Amino acid sequence: MSTPGDPEALSVELVRPYVITNGRGLPDDDQFNLITLVTTSDQPRPSHLDPEKHSVLDLCSGGLLSVAEIAGHMKLPIGIVKVLLSDLSADGFLVVRAPVPPAQLVDVSLLQEVLNGLQARFG
Amino acid sequence: MTHYIQDPALWALIAGTPLAATVIVRERRARTKTRREKAVVESRYAELEGSYAASVHEARIRAEDATKSALKSAMRTLQGLANEQQLAISKAQGKYGEHYVLQDLLEIDHMNSQFGRRAQAIAVLCDGWLGRQRADASVYDVVRSAKGRIRHYTRVEIRSQSNFAMTGRAVEPVALALAELLDNATSYSAPDSPIDITTRTVPKGVCIIIDDAGVGMNEEEKKRADHLLSPQGPTDITALGNPPQFGFAVIGVLAARYGFSVSVDSSSPYGGVRAVVLIPEELLTSMPEPEEAPMPSRTSGAAAPEVSTSTPGGLPKRSRKGSISIVPQADSTRAPARTEAETASIMAAFQLGTQSGRSANTEGHDPQ
Repeated sequence: MSTPGDPEALSVELVRPYVITNGRGLPDDDQFNLITLVTTSDQPRPSHLDPEKHSVLDLCSGGLLSVAEIAGHMKLPIGIVKVLLSDLSADGFLVVRAPVPPAQLVDVSLLQEVLNGLQARFG
Repeated sequence: MTHYIQDPALWALIAGTPLAATVIVRERRARTKTRREKAVVESRYAELEGSYAASVHEARIRAEDATKSALKSAMRTLQGLANEQQLAISKAQGKYGEHYVLQDLLEIDHMNSQFGRRAQAIAVLCDGWLGRQRADASVYDVVRSAKGRIRHYTRVEIRSQSNFAMTGRAVEPVALALAELLDNATSYSAPDSPIDITTRTVPKGVCIIIDDAGVGMNEEEKKRADHLLSPQGPTDITALGNPPQFGFAVIGVLAARYGFSVSVDSSSPYGGVRAVVLIPEELLTSMPEPEEAPMPSRTSGAAAPEVSTSTPGGLPKRSRKGSISIVPQADSTRAPARTEAETASIMAAFQLGTQSGRSANTEGHDPQ
């Protein structure tokens, strides 16, 4: 941290995050989490979008991208990115693909151990 | 005739005439002298009055300077702290981006911006430090930045974007001046009425127009505003009233110092005040290139991200580079960590556990 006597060294973003969302509350629905994948839809992009929304669409135009990746590229808090994404998807500019449900992520070795156990006990 | 000579009145007259003449001459002389003395006294008085006024003026200037330099250094500290705090808030926002705390952090950020703006405004009046060094920024971003520095920013609607950007040195002063105008606009209009901002390109530069639906200004207020906004307007911080009204004085100083112009003498189509900020060409530049063009994140090295074709349903197809399997392959080379007997005992313990759990459940309360 620099001292207050040397404030010129400090620089913060010109446009603060709460202005980007225009003070709206963060979406509390679980439409987006860190690994939700989004990509652009075929809908043509209007010209009057905010620069941040343009950047999101530019980022997503190459394919599916996760929320965490978008936030990383935009250098914005994830909550703010979620607001942008929920706006864009509500207007139909983005297509959201739900993440793979965690129940499918099963370790094969664990299944193998269960099988071994069952065989040892009953087999 | 002789009876005249015997008349004492004649003799009295003869004797009295030179006497009277002498008296008159003496009188006249005295009067001239008095007049001369009066003139001297008057000139001395004027001289004294002049030097008194000069010394009062000088004392006032000295007091003003002392006040200004004291305020200036005080504000500099506050501005530094506000900036430092804003950095800390930014960091916290990144850290708790997904946390519900973010909402509170955004509010704190907003309050801190207002605090910083107040300190900046007073510093400007004291010929002090305006603050941050900025890179060139688009007019739209400068307007948004200004919007974020006032309390009721959600009422401000930005109607248009322009293709121009401002040079770095103009960014902060214009943003501060706009913020003061927006603060006035929101303060003197109904709490739910919107404030419209439109940007227009004119031959001389770019106009930023702020319209409010408030009560407008009366003649006296307009006169005061014009006086403060004119380049010769005084920046006497002791003459801003109580409570002091900084707004127009700050805008006037900024406009004079950085060479843009502000007028508030027209009325908006909504009945309130229309403020017009004219940014001259010298302070404008073409749109800055984004620092690093946002690239779709493909970690596939040299392979250019080809635009994927779409499925019949309209969804983009993503060409997979690696394995699609999400179930990790069992490592066949890995030796089983446990012997069969161990595994059996673990399983037995597991079974025992679930059994006791079930019985505990039925004992504790009846499942319905």
